[in-house]
Amino acid sequence: MIQKILIANRGEIALRIVRACREMGIKTLAIYSEADVQSLHVQLADEAICVGGPKSVDSYLRADRIISAAEIADVDAIHPGYGFLSENAKFAEQCESCNIKFIGPKSKSIKLMGDKSVARETVRKAHVATVPGSDGPVEAEAEAVKIARSIGYPVIIKAVAGGGGRGMRIAHNDVSFAKEFHVARNEAEKAFGDGRVYLEKYIERPRHIEFQILADSHGKVIHLGERDCSVQRRHQKLIEEAPSPFLTPDLRKKMGKAAVRAAEAAEYENAGTIEFLVDPKGNFYFIEMNTRIQVEHPVTEEVTGIDLVKQQIHIANGEKLEFDQSDITFEKHAIECRINAEDPARNFAPSPGTVGLYYPPGGHGVRIDSHIYSGYTIPPYYDSMIGKLICFGSTRKEALERAYRALSEYLIRGIKTTIPLHKAIMADPLFIEGKATTAYMEEFLTRTTPELFS
Amino acid sequence: MKRSELTEFAVEEEGFKLKIRRGANGLPIVSTARGSNPPFVPAESNSTPPMPVPAPLQSTTSGAPPTTEEPGITYVKSPMVGTFYRSPSPESKPFVDLGSKIEDNSLVCIIEAMKIMNEIQAEAKGTIVEILVENGQPVEYGQRLFKLRQG
Repeated sequence: MIQKILIANRGEIALRIVRACREMGIKTLAIYSEADVQSLHVQLADEAICVGGPKSVDSYLRADRIISAAEIADVDAIHPGYGFLSENAKFAEQCESCNIKFIGPKSKSIKLMGDKSVARETVRKAHVATVPGSDGPVEAEAEAVKIARSIGYPVIIKAVAGGGGRGMRIAHNDVSFAKEFHVARNEAEKAFGDGRVYLEKYIERPRHIEFQILADSHGKVIHLGERDCSVQRRHQKLIEEAPSPFLTPDLRKKMGKAAVRAAEAAEYENAGTIEFLVDPKGNFYFIEMNTRIQVEHPVTEEVTGIDLVKQQIHIANGEKLEFDQSDITFEKHAIECRINAEDPARNFAPSPGTVGLYYPPGGHGVRIDSHIYSGYTIPPYYDSMIGKLICFGSTRKEALERAYRALSEYLIRGIKTTIPLHKAIMADPLFIEGKATTAYMEEFLTRTTPELFS
Repeated sequence: MKRSELTEFAVEEEGFKLKIRRGANGLPIVSTARGSNPPFVPAESNSTPPMPVPAPLQSTTSGAPPTTEEPGITYVKSPMVGTFYRSPSPESKPFVDLGSKIEDNSLVCIIEAMKIMNEIQAEAKGTIVEILVENGQPVEYGQRLFKLRQG
């Protein structure tokens, strides 16, 4: 029975986990860096242990110190959140060998799905369509060009050890392919310590639609519907919504079944997400599996009524999932805007600093997942996301109007944020029509003057 | 927690190296490689890249609320997370005591982390005027262990 959890993360997700634990009567231990002494979750947790200096490599990535903290504080489980060590198979293995429950899948599932090329192979065997591409990593340029030609340009060159939108280059013809192939390998080697790459057909103007998975340790795997995350800038998600304005009930059923098959192929346990690209004709292709809780999980929580973080803890406890696939219904429409400390009027320049007046919106259908508060100083060492605004309504129209209203009320003084950008998108006719693909954001920014964001 | 019998022992993982051997007087000698290559996957998917550091940040003392620095006073701080011990073994005398004169490479205590006994060097100079933690107490990174008067 899990009675104490160490939260190996920071910011809004650490706060999210503290809240779930408090509601379940579970004690919390926050580990933190010297830059996060004033962080909200550190103040709210039952115990807190400093594990290092401000930089992530000196603190949140120090698995040895985190496990040491887990041992001296006698915790039963570690929740890794997202990012940091959450998809580090070695860390999950260390927890397993130290008899500390890792709240997530088994280390072997992380390893399997962490190699993006092996992941493709694995789900293909389960009859899940993948983007046409190479059979595994490609070594030599000559071989790679041949494969690229047979796939058909444009092609995308992806790092085997990449994921989350990182380590990708696009080539439109033989000439650019030669250059991009080498650049991709060098970048991959530098960023991930593994220069292997594989090829996929580059699907133009796709929608990014992902399915939330929950799997218990007794063999039950279900999906909780999709999230449409097509609004992205440089492969980083800005807005996510559920359900997708593009999917028909039939396509949803097909994709949901495929997502479950993919998770079963990975012998998955706990919460995870299967990501697909969907072309304008409705053909869907597996691109990767995220073996962790995701940033945008609240969207699914609002639409299904299920608390995903609590479910993660129940599953880690060895409990059976209380519901079946047929119990999952999608009642509302929900939309999430990621609020970043960036200035959209100046090419998204980072804006760390001290928050002055902070007034978050409220009212029916408004949820804020944020760790910031008046007087809080945003440290410059970590990513710039300072909170998430999730709005829901009985229809998509209501959810969007609510989001627009909430964004108008949201006051964060002292730093620049992307709130004005989100407001502009909520009012944009193309977005309102539900027509956004992954090409949307770039196109929106070209036709919108930066002054609109100040 | 029990003390372990240590002989020749080497552990190496990404970013964390330890070599332990019994010295001439039977004491374990531990050398750690700290601050070496980043240990694990640095990738943070699903988030924007870290923001550039605008100016040197004032480092806060960890754990305990920040206190004003007294002139002529410095501290030996914990470089890791673990359990603090005053002496090399339960039967031996403590490494140092009140009034001990300390140099940068003076061994001042043991911090046990994940069953490994790490000998901790002071990395500070002065005379011990206060011992801030108790034998067997868990300590965190940056925690003040000894108060030293300089000069």
